This record gives sequence, structure tokens and C-alpha cells, in this order.
Amino acid sequence: MRRTPTLVGATLLAAALVAAGCGGGASDGKTRITIGLFGNFGYQQLFEEYEKAHPDIDITDRTASYSDHHKNLAAHLATNNGAADIEAVDVGYINQFKANPGQFVELGSEVKDRWLDWKWEGSLSKDGKQIGYGTDIGGLAICYRRDLFEAAGLPSDRDQVSALWPTWEQFMATGKQFAAKAPAGAKFFDGGPTVLNAIVGQAPTGYYDKNDKIVVGDNADIRKGWNLVAQGVADGLSAGLLHSTPQWNTGFKQGQFATLACPAWMMAKIKDQAPDTAGKWDLAAVPGGGGNWGGSYLTVPKQGKNTDKAVALAAWLTAPEQQAKVFATAGLLPSTPKLYSEESVAKKQDPFFNNAPVGKVFTDAARALKPQYQGPKAGDVQTELGNAMQRVEQGKQSPDESWNQFVGDVKRLED
Amino acid sequence: MTTVLEPLAPQAPAPSGRRRALRMPGPWTYAALIAVLAGSAFPVYWSLVVSSQTPDSVSSVPPVLVPGGNLFANISRVFDQSDFALAMMNSLIVSGTITLSVVFFSTLAGFAFAKLRFRGRSALMLLVVATQAVPTELGVIPLYMMMSDFGWAGELHAVIVPGLVTAFGVFFMRQYFERAVPDELLEAGRMDGCSSLRLYWHVVLPAARPAAAVLGLFTFMQAWNDFFWPLVVLTPENPTVQTALNTLASGYTTDYTLVLTAATIGTVPVLAVFLLFGRQIVGGIMQGALKG
Amino acid sequence: MKTDWRERRHRWDTRYAPYAYIAPYFLLFAVFGLFPLLYTAWVSLQDRNLLDGDAATFIGVDNYVQLLTADPYFWNAMGNTLSLWLLTTVPQILFALGIAQLLNRRLRGRTFFRMGVLLPNITSVAAVTIIFAQLFGRDFGLINWVLELFGAGRIDWQAGTGSSHTAIAAMVVWRWTGYHALIFLASMQAIPTSVYEAARLDGATSWQQFWRITVPMLRPQIIFSTVIATAGNMRLLAEPLLFNPGAGAATGGSDRQFQTAALYLYEQGFAKFDFGYASAIAWLLLIATVAITGLSYLAARRIRTD
Repeated sequence: MRRTPTLVGATLLAAALVAAGCGGGASDGKTRITIGLFGNFGYQQLFEEYEKAHPDIDITDRTASYSDHHKNLAAHLATNNGAADIEAVDVGYINQFKANPGQFVELGSEVKDRWLDWKWEGSLSKDGKQIGYGTDIGGLAICYRRDLFEAAGLPSDRDQVSALWPTWEQFMATGKQFAAKAPAGAKFFDGGPTVLNAIVGQAPTGYYDKNDKIVVGDNADIRKGWNLVAQGVADGLSAGLLHSTPQWNTGFKQGQFATLACPAWMMAKIKDQAPDTAGKWDLAAVPGGGGNWGGSYLTVPKQGKNTDKAVALAAWLTAPEQQAKVFATAGLLPSTPKLYSEESVAKKQDPFFNNAPVGKVFTDAARALKPQYQGPKAGDVQTELGNAMQRVEQGKQSPDESWNQFVGDVKRLED
Repeated sequence: MTTVLEPLAPQAPAPSGRRRALRMPGPWTYAALIAVLAGSAFPVYWSLVVSSQTPDSVSSVPPVLVPGGNLFANISRVFDQSDFALAMMNSLIVSGTITLSVVFFSTLAGFAFAKLRFRGRSALMLLVVATQAVPTELGVIPLYMMMSDFGWAGELHAVIVPGLVTAFGVFFMRQYFERAVPDELLEAGRMDGCSSLRLYWHVVLPAARPAAAVLGLFTFMQAWNDFFWPLVVLTPENPTVQTALNTLASGYTTDYTLVLTAATIGTVPVLAVFLLFGRQIVGGIMQGALKG
Repeated sequence: MKTDWRERRHRWDTRYAPYAYIAPYFLLFAVFGLFPLLYTAWVSLQDRNLLDGDAATFIGVDNYVQLLTADPYFWNAMGNTLSLWLLTTVPQILFALGIAQLLNRRLRGRTFFRMGVLLPNITSVAAVTIIFAQLFGRDFGLINWVLELFGAGRIDWQAGTGSSHTAIAAMVVWRWTGYHALIFLASMQAIPTSVYEAARLDGATSWQQFWRITVPMLRPQIIFSTVIATAGNMRLLAEPLLFNPGAGAATGGSDRQFQTAALYLYEQGFAKFDFGYASAIAWLLLIATVAITGLSYLAARRIRTD
């Protein structure tokens, strides 16, 4: 073993040589545009298409989890270092970022007409500066498992299913019917927080009033939804899974739940998570009328080195033609109303969802959608609300106790 | 094997004339030890099992307990679907640089403390020992502020630079030099007119090899496994293996088999070091290498 | 001329070179170790949030007053820290003593067994936690499956305070027991056998020998291990963070049932970017760590050395 140190030395030397050799950028004269995303934006093919049309551009995308992405973006903007050339921002966080419009390239209003009015205004700062191009909007529907519905003796045809639950109360009543004859291991919905998010998304007022004051504690619509969902949990309708966790992901594969509140982007998630369940899913109307959950913007932080080219790419990615392509491939609902009457969008059916008319369902939802004002920390409030509902699901607290704690937690966000 | 550790061996409490009349182990001892070993190895084994199975197996009932044939398919999926190659490379750069630097500065300072005479020597050595007890981790907020002022946040040097020296390394090498490098050797060199730097390079460093190797192994494994500071100062775009695991586990990927495969891959380098040099590492700990 | 130059060089070499050799350590430690820690105290007296730009207002001890008198989550985190400290440190030391005793025989395959018990210690905390989180899974975890086999019910490990602490403690104990066992083993081997022979003549059982001879003789190592383990276990962060991945990871469970003080520091500092408040948490945690380390030192010192 006399050679031990030599061997270690050689390994380390190799590592050091690697270290010395690193640190180059795009060396072939191309401009590299980085784009920071979370979740699935359906952009992969578009990047290739853009690079083909612009040989001088090299696009690198980075994807992080939802909360990490926004947390890191906030830090990068504050320290004026480390942001990507283009950064996606979810609607739950856009107000936080537009409070400092100086950190972003002002995009002007030349292409304003592309978007739904409320989508455009969502990323418009108080002093009238536009910081983000809209990508998708959420809309709302219910995704359900036909096979599990049939096994539980419920109708599985989508119109009949939609007719079962014009209201959330009837949704829960259906859940009890399901539970009575459900196959082993399957619950009616995935978890309280997901359902509650959909109900919140339908309320005229959400977590904030228009003066950016948190009012969720006194919001009767949300409180009513809270009680309803908590009752559903008590009735054993919930699989007790918190959305966007590994356990939830597993739940898709294992068929642990029969229904799921479905904004359009959720369909992309289901396909990613459980490709084997293709054809078993279908799409029904959401109880309680239209609503929105999620949807995003592309922003261009000022600190980037290639802001002009980044703006051009962001504008291209969010143009109606590209949004139509994203809808076709990933199912994200366009935020550009002109597409809602185009056949390729409005008539789209999705074989994964048993050929459900996703085009019609979601363009109808988009047209009927009454936008809700999002406050600066809506994303954080949503996380707290998820924790609160989880406390009820885990039997740690009564619904009232948990609600009161939630109201206190939210108050701390304002300090 | 023994040559590496021999110079470390003589330690105070070993009474010389003692015959090692240790008890013979009975079958129960072996049974108990094998149970302990099984417990030690099981989580690592199980992670390997899941890494070699299909995506569904992680949630199958009853759980899978034997390896399947999908290991390489899963590994290539990890590298395809995430930046894990970058993470591995970054971890190698960080741990390699830190290891080289710690060994270099520790032998240099250890040599000075053990073999050179200068004013304030013992007081300064005491200071080194004392700094070992300082929980520098709790200074994480100003450290982060500094790194962003330097423009280093998100860059590998933010992780490397604070790790370039350790009090433990200095202390460890000093103890070793005191024991293992005879003063006469250095005196002889001095008579020939060698400067202290030349002495260090030609006499001390070669003599330091066994202890430096042990120090290097510890440092490498520690740097590879470091979690908190890289998590704070790096971003998911430029991760080390450990922060990449955090990103993967926080719901970014939809497939838990991939997360466990990544955990397995990330363990392989330290596991390899451990299997190759396990005897030295065990020896280092038992000689009180990590002490103090 | 030449000798003069050599003379001078020699004088410089003996007088100043040693300082040059030790300087890198002190410089780097001062800049990246000591200074940040001390500066934490200054930041803790400020109202300072990264997201508000560089604005920092001096507010005296307000952060401390807030934490100590008006922040139940801080006390919750401190309570969890203490609970986890007990649940990790005590079993670690006891198991390590037992394993060291097993290893202290004339074993065949000595190195194999020693490496085997050390194996958990070289795995990374991130990988370990991910693996254990899966083993402790509510619906498809191996441990719940075994519990069901034996007729016990499933446990939602993350939901309860006791259950989540147990699971996290299991990760820490698993990872560190072997390391301490090797330290104890080294000292056990240094105990002269004549001591045991005398005891055997007096009719002491091996159980009595273990508690009356071995453990007292290991006192310095037990103190050392207790102090090391305490310092580490008072700052648990990766385990609770990765035990519950997702958007709310930094809260350590839906009701913060396993949020440690270090995790609370992380939440305030690097999820909310409230640097002033987080710095105050850091200092309080530092004080608590010193106090608990002192206590455990005193406790370990009480081992009888007759």
C-alpha cells in the first residue's frame, strides 16, 4: 500500500485539472440565452425551432421546483446577480416582482393586443410598466378516472359526470357515493389542498383585496370552501396527498384517487407522471362555474447581458402561433384570446383523456373566466393554506383550530 | 497496508507488556454483529435495489427486495433528465480542490507548529485548537452577504474558498509531525544550509505522506457530503451532488426511482473511496484522527 | 558579500518564515469563519431583509425580544431541537458502546466488521434522508409494510410529533453510531486485561464488568463523543428539510412538528430572506448549543471512575 498517497494525489490532480479547464461560455460565437422555468412549459421543441431559425442563438433552459424557482429568483434580483436571461414567474408571485419594476426590462405595449386584458394587467406594475409576457392561463376542470368511477358504480360518461356536480356540495355528495363502493386503495380526491385551491380560484376575491391587503381571514367564500373540504376529509374522501410532493406523484401511478382539480397545465403533469394511465382519464366540468388556478409570465431581468435578444425570444415564445403549438403538445391553455376560435385549438381532443374535447372545455372556461386579483405573496399564502389543510387531514387539529392558526400565519407574511 | 498507519500507531495509553487476551467470540457475537451489519448496509442496499427496478417498483406492495435489470436504464435517465452530470463534475471540482488545499496548508502550518521555533507558537497553536470549537456554520448569513457582494453567489468558489483550510487538518498534521519526523533529520538538513521551505518540500512533505493521505480521504468525503452551505449559496442551476439531490427530491421530477438512483450514483464516489481505503479510514478514526 | 546575503536570508527564514506558513490558516479562518460569526451579532440587531434591498435599520434587541417573548414558532423549534437532541444523542452513545463491546473480541474478518459498522457514516446526509423518507413512507414505505405484517397499524410518520422525531432520530443514529463505536473500541483495546481478570476472580459477571470497568474506563471517550454528537445534533437541518420535500419543506411539517431551530433559521433567512431575524436565531442557537454541550459534558462526567 505504499502507493496509496500517489494514487490519491493522482485523483486529486485530475480533479484540479478538470477545475482549471472549466469556465468557458458559448465559445462558438453564439449568444447563449438562459431561461429559468419551473414545471413543464412545453417549450423543448420551440427552443429547437428557434435555434434553427436563429443560428446565432443557443438556448439553455434550467428547471427547478416551483417554490425554489421563485425563492431563488427573488434572491438573484435582490443581489443583482445570477438570474437567467428570461425568468418565468407564476401568477401567484407576479405581484411580488412587479412591485420592483426597475429590476426588469420594460416590455412596452406594442404587442398588448395579443393577450386577455386581465392577463396583460396582471403583470403591469402600479406605475404602468409591463414586466412580463403572458404564457398560459389555468382555467379549471375536473380530471377523473373512468375506470375507478365505473368500478364504484358511478356513470363514467363525461356529460353525465359533469351533471353529477353542478356545485361543490354535490361534488362531495358524489364522493360519498364513490366511497361507498370504491375499489380498495382509491379515494375520491387526491388531497384537500388541491380541491381547496380550485375553490379559491373561483372566488371573486382571493387572498388579497385590491389594496394588497390580506383579507383571506374574513373571506366568506374561502371559509365556506374550507369547511366543505374539511367535511369531505372527515368523510374519508381524501387520499391525504399534498400536491407537488413525491407522495402525490406516486399517487397518480398507483391510482390512489379518482378525481383531481385540473387547470390546463395539470393535464401535462398527469401525462408526465403516469404515462401508463393513458386513456383511463377523462375530463368533466368543474363544480361552481369557471375559475382560474395558475398560469405564468416570462420576464426579462435587467441584469442579463443579452436583454434585447432575450426580449425577442420571450416575445416569440408567447406569440399566439407558439402558444397554439404548446397547447397542441403539452395542453397549456393559451392566454391569447384570438386562438380560442381557431379550429386547431377549439376542436382539440386529447386521446390521453379518452378523446375529451379539451379545446372546447378550456376555451369555454377561459372565456367565462372572471379574473381574481392576486396579491404580492399569493404563492406563500397558498403554501400556508396547504399546510393548514394538511393539519386537518393528518388529524392534528380540528378545522376551526387549523383555520385560526392559518389566519395567524398569514398575518406574519404581512409584517 | 500497515506501512501507511504505522507511524501513527504509537499512542499513549497502550501498555507495552499487555498480552491481548481478548475473549473468543461465540456464535451469538457473530450473529449479533451480522445483524448490525445488515442494518448498516440495508438502506444503501435497498436504494440500489430501487435504482435497478422499474419506476413502479418503488411503490409496489409487497416492497421489492432484490435488484432488477434496469440499473443502467435508470442511470442514463438521471443524466438525461437532470443536470446530474454537471452536479457530479461540480462536486468533484469542489471536493478535489478543497482536499488539495487542506492537505497543503495543513502540512505547511503543521510543520511550522511542530518543528519551527517562533515567538507565540504555543499560544497560536492553542488558538487553532480553540477555533475548532467555533460553530462557523452559524455565521451563514453574513457569509452569504459577503459572497453576494463578491459576486460569488451561485459560483463554485463560494463553496470552495471557505473550505480551503480546517483547524482539524492543522492540528492533525502537527500531531503527526511531532511524532513521526525526527528533529535530527531536520537539523541535518539545516546544517547543509537548506531553507525551511526546502526542508518542507524535500524532507517534511515526503514524510507526511501517510498522514496526509488519511487527512485527504477525510476531507474529500466531508466536502463531497457537505449540504447546508452549498444549499444556501448555490442555485439549482449550478449544483453539487447534494443540492441536486435536494432539487430532485422536492418534486421537480415526477419519478421517485430517479431520485433514488441519483442518490445511489451520488454515493458511489465516496463508497469507492471507502472500499479502497476503508482500512486507513477506520484506522484514522481509531487513532483518534477525528478527535479534538 | 555572499555569506552576508546568506546570513540575512537565514535570519529572515528562521524569524519570519514560520509566520508565513501558518498565516494562510489564520487569514482564511478569520475572513470566512470568525468574521461572519461575529458579524452575525451585528446583523441580529438590525431590521434587514435581502428583498428590501440593502436597507438595514438598527433596532437594538428587538429581534431577540420578538423571538423570546412573542414567537411561539421559535420556542416550538427549540423544543423540537431539544427533543431530537435527546432522541439522537443518547441512543447513539448506548448503541455505540454495545457495538464496540461486540467488536472487542478476537474476530475473524476484523476489518470487514469495522468497515461495515462505519459504512453509514460515509454516506451523504442528503442521500440517507431521501432513502429513509421513502422507507418511512405512509402508503408504500417498507417500515409500514413490516408493521402491518406484524399486525400493527400503519403510521403516518411525518404527521405526528413523536413519530416524525423517531424517524428523523433513526436517520441520525443510523449514520453516526458506527463512528462512535470505533472510537470506543480503540479505547477498549487499551484497557489492560488484568483489570478484568481481577474482577472475574471476584465473581463479577460480564454484564457487571461492562458497566463497572469498561464504561468508567471509557469516560474520556464518552465525554468526547457526547460533546461531538451534541454539537452536531443541535444543528440538524438536512434531515428535517428533506424528510418533507415540497413547497412547504422549510416549515418542517404541516404544524412545524419537526422544524428544528436550524431549519427555522433557514426558513427565516433563506426562504423569507429576513436576515436580521435569522441572525438573532443563529445567536440564540449558538448560546443554546453551548449550554447544552456544557450540560452533556457534566452529565457524561458523572460516570463513576472507581
